[in-house]
Parts: sequence; C-alpha cells; structure tokens
Amino acid sequence: MQKRDFLKKMIMLASSFGVASIPYVVARILAPGEIYNYSNHLRPPGALVDDKEFVKACIGCGLCGEICPPKCILFDKRSGGNAVNTPYINPETKACILCNKCMEVCPTEALIEVPREEVKMGLAQIDRSACYPWVDRGVCGACVAICPLGKKAIAFEFADMYRPYIKEEGCVGCGMCVEICPHPSLPIRIVEPGKGVITQHTV
Amino acid sequence: MNTEFKPFFLWKHLNKLRWVMLSIVFLMLVYLPFAHVYQTFVASFSYDLLDPSEKELYDLIQMLTSPFVDDPAEGLDAIKGNTWAGNFFGYKISDPLAVLGQIAAGMTVYWPFFLTGLIPIVLTIFFGRFFCGWICPATFLYELNTISSLWLQRFGIKVGNRRFDRRLKYLVLAVGVGVSAITGSVLISMIYPPAIIGREIYFGIALGGFGAGLVFFVLTLLFDLLVARRGFCRYMCPGGALYALLGRFRLFRIKRIVENCNDCAKCNAVCEFGLDPLRDDFGQECNNCTACIAICPTDALTFKVKITDDVNQGPGHLGKAYQRLKP
Repeated sequence: MQKRDFLKKMIMLASSFGVASIPYVVARILAPGEIYNYSNHLRPPGALVDDKEFVKACIGCGLCGEICPPKCILFDKRSGGNAVNTPYINPETKACILCNKCMEVCPTEALIEVPREEVKMGLAQIDRSACYPWVDRGVCGACVAICPLGKKAIAFEFADMYRPYIKEEGCVGCGMCVEICPHPSLPIRIVEPGKGVITQHTV
Repeated sequence: MNTEFKPFFLWKHLNKLRWVMLSIVFLMLVYLPFAHVYQTFVASFSYDLLDPSEKELYDLIQMLTSPFVDDPAEGLDAIKGNTWAGNFFGYKISDPLAVLGQIAAGMTVYWPFFLTGLIPIVLTIFFGRFFCGWICPATFLYELNTISSLWLQRFGIKVGNRRFDRRLKYLVLAVGVGVSAITGSVLISMIYPPAIIGREIYFGIALGGFGAGLVFFVLTLLFDLLVARRGFCRYMCPGGALYALLGRFRLFRIKRIVENCNDCAKCNAVCEFGLDPLRDDFGQECNNCTACIAICPTDALTFKVKITDDVNQGPGHLGKAYQRLKP
C-alpha cells in the first residue's frame, strides 16, 4: 500500500512538472529558431564577442533599442529560438552611429562600455567587382565620407582616386558604409571579426 | 461598532491610489515608445520630411515634454525602459526575476546587474508581493479582464473559476531557472507578463509589429477568462512566485479586526488571488492590493507591522455565528 502511495506521489510530481513546463513550451513554440546571415544580423556595439555569451547575458528588456537615436537596433520578435528578444542591427536598412548610448544603458554585461575605436561588431568588406569606382563607373566615395572613424578605418587607394579600401585594424564594423552605399547590390558587407578576410581580388 | 478598533481612514482609499499607480505605469509604458520615436525625429532633424500623422505625434510629444527638457535628444533619456529593466534618472532598476534568470543562464553573478535589482528586493522584503498589485502593467490588464469576465457573466456567458494548487507557480519558477540554465538564455522573460507587456508595447509602437510575446499574453488572458480567474498570476507566474518567496516574512500585512467583522465574506469574494481574509489566511501570496480593505463594509481590515499572520481569530464579533457562540 505504501509503495502505491509513493508511486502516486511520484506520478503527481512528474505531472505537475509537466504542467509547470507548459508555458515555456508554448513560448518556445511561438518563437522558432532561425539561422541568420551575419552581415545583416550584427549585435549592438560593445556586445560580448561570443554570441552564446551575449545571449546568456541579455535579459531582453529592449532598453538598448529604446535609447538608440537612429532606431537602428531591432529585435528578434517572432523568431530566434533561445535568442528571442535579443537586439540586432541590420546595417542594410539602418546602421549604428556609434553613439555609445546603448552600452551606457544596458543593465547587464551584454553590452559593456568600450571606447568607439575598440568596438568590434565586425569588419566591413568591399566587393570590388560591384563598387562603382573599382569598376570604373564613375566617382563615388560615399563610404569614405560617411565613416565615423574617418581615415583610420577606410581610405582611398593610393593614386586610385575614389577607390575605397578597408583598413582591418581600424574598422569597427558599424555598417554606416553599408547603409550609404548607392549600389543596389550592396557591395559592402560586414563579416565576422577574425573570421572574414578583406577581399584582395583585383578586377 | 466599536470605534476603538477603527482603522486609519486612509487605508480604505488605498485601492483607488493603487488604480492610479497602475494607470500611471501603464500610460508611461505607452508614452515612452512614442517619446523614443519623437527623439529619433529630433535626432535626425527630419521634421519637414515627416508624414502629417508623424508631425502630429511630433507636436504632441513636444508639447508634453518641452516644459521639462531643453534638449529632447538627450534630456528624454532620463526615463527609459519598462518594469523589467529601466533607467530612471541614471539609476538602473531591474526586476529581481531578471537578475535570477540571468544568474541562472550565465551561471555567474554580474554584480553591477545584481545591484540594480536590490531596490525591488528590499521593498519586497518589507511589503511582500506589492509589485503584483501596485506596479505590474499586466495586472492592470488582468484586472480589467476580471471586470470584463463579470460583464460576460451578466450576459449569461460562462467563465471559468477553477482552483488549482497555488504551489504550482513555485514549480514554474524552478522549471524556468532550470530551462534558463540549460538553454543559456533568459527564457523566463518569455513567459513573464510584465516583461512581455513592456517589450510588446515598445515593439508595437516604435518598431511596428508585435512579437510572439503578445500571442502568449493573449493566451494567458484567455486562460484567466475561461479556466481560472486571475489564473496565470495565481498558479503560473514565476515572478509572482519569486516575490512571494522574498516577501514570506514581510513586515506590512493586512490584519482582520475580529471585533468589527461581521462574516460577510466580501473580502474573500473580491480577493483577486483567491485568499481567505475572512479566516485570517493571507499568507505569502497576499500582494497588499487593499481591495479587501476598500470593500469591507464594517471597517474590519487594517494594516499591521508584524512578520506573521494571526492565527484564525474565529467568527467576527458582529456576525451571527459569534452571537450564537456567546454565552
């Protein structure tokens, strides 16, 4: 008889654990996982470099988005799996202006205050087969003019006027050049720092 | 009625103050995204490029905020965020559940973040589950939901009023901490209504388009309506569970003055959390919402400063049961 009671209790406990996990299952089903292209899914400036660590630290409060002056920080609202409600920046529509406000307001260690030069969101990469000056379709220089870090990150090739190239040690990957680039095929991409290589190909 | 046991007259009006508080918090959550949109317009100097409707918004927020701030792009940053985590004149305040969830997910304590949760924790130790009754933006909607369920009942539509075990929410909290630790993300925030409300209002207003959390919140509203009255708060909410545990030995409690009580049981009927004030059974779940004090016809409920509830004081002295017992 005691054995039966014990069994009953265990079944009750297991079923109540099952009931207790229902909300999490429902919430998780509502936000299915999705694999992103790095170039249009940058983390905000000052984010922990390891994305898993970033997701661990982020509580999904939305403060960084709420303080962003250009409103460039978006959120994985309906997808992302475990990374749901985490912030990201799509430089193709709106790029980060490196104002440091999101780092200051973040309550957790997800975004840590770092000086503008030490931000590591990624690395810009120019596809020289599409860039107007590189294929001799006129002069442009929009990316060089807009770069918030100026000559430290992007410059014109010596004696090749208006042909931009990225300086790997200076670029922080904010994506302003991606946003401003007039070419419809978006020849500039942001690649993962340390993993991408600046293209060396010539035309 | 014995005037000797009359409670302080203001306690009866605290429920109105509570509704004012809830409305202010909710209106702030609606106002802040609009203010942010206005700030983005200011920061981009784009007034001439705006749509007529956007210009209306610009003018409205400018009218509201210009007496207080000179430079909207910077000055309006003073108040930001929601009840899950906010920035209030340079002070960051976070929900204790956010702190717990982040500790569980990261397996480390980030002390600056822990400190942001300290003010709510200390207040909870004194006032118990006050957040649930006085601040939580979801409570505002849930209580309106309760009122609408009363209307539905009046029209003859059946609403659910089942009762479950109140300890279920502690299990939900435990499962949430476990799930956060396993998946390495603060999944508790996905099922915690105040966090959902704060986020979704921002998403809906500023970013255009609600997220998955809204669907979850609507499901909880339906659960409250069709299965159990205030069911999510009573039986499921992990934040409520954490607050209840923190406020186990709270200092400020509601107390029944047995001399004034006439056993009318209105307090039991009005209690959103299904507690039993009539038998002095408030327990750790009481959120000091003072609805029972406001409705009591004989002024038999008041506050006291003590870390334990009274044991059942028996039938009220104005009631029939007591008259029968009396020799």
